[in-house]
Amino acid sequence: MATTPMLQVLQGFLKVTTERQQFITANMANVDTPGYHTRDINFKSALQQAMNPGGETHLEPASIELDNLPERPDGNNVNIDREGLMLSQTQLQYQLGVQLVKNQFHELLTAIKD
Amino acid sequence: MGMFTMMSISASALSAERQRAEVTSANLANAETTHTDTGGPFVRKEVVFGTSNASPFQTVFDRAGGFGRPTSGAVQLTGVVNDTTPPVMRYEPGSPDADKDGYVAYPAINPVTEMVDLMGAVRSYQLNASAVSAAKQMIQESIDILKTT
Repeated sequence: MATTPMLQVLQGFLKVTTERQQFITANMANVDTPGYHTRDINFKSALQQAMNPGGETHLEPASIELDNLPERPDGNNVNIDREGLMLSQTQLQYQLGVQLVKNQFHELLTAIKD
Repeated sequence: MGMFTMMSISASALSAERQRAEVTSANLANAETTHTDTGGPFVRKEVVFGTSNASPFQTVFDRAGGFGRPTSGAVQLTGVVNDTTPPVMRYEPGSPDADKDGYVAYPAINPVTEMVDLMGAVRSYQLNASAVSAAKQMIQESIDILKTT
């Protein structure tokens, strides 16, 4: 249970970022698996869903397969550069979320002390 | 938990790539082996990778139920297959492995192909090792929330 509405939002944000990082890791792991297609989440809808957990839950697949990337002869379309970039990007987004959470607690502490 | 799942997915890839490097090294080492326990020249081996995907139903169900079950994407070595390329015959009548016409069967192994495969395995290993350190860093950051400033 989150103490402030902002923490609730940040909780959802961190959850979605972790989920995305998991897909990126899986893509990296399957860089040599024949027939594997790059998987990712729909960040926007996943975030919306995470932000209002009480709202109506429209069931949609947790992951989407990207078919617009160039495919290798073995049917694999994992692009190492894309995954590397996404790994750093998602990591920074996560870092941002963590810093904001820290800031929230710091504000709370200030309010208690003063 | 998502972040520890990330590490186990990367670990599965590290293990698979290491096994691939092992098989490739064995091919390179036995490029000139004409005599094995089973008789005949060494047969080139190749690894087959497969992914262990959770079904889409499982994924949606877990999500709707709010279960923190891992969305699997781990890679696994599904098998080691023999290369069916016929052996290369070289005329060496003095060799103990020569047939009645004086030909010796050598394994059909191209060292260049093996080296390229080995390099690919090493690069993929490095890539997954960097994914592990990214996951570790994220976990460390989460722990740091507990630190009082």
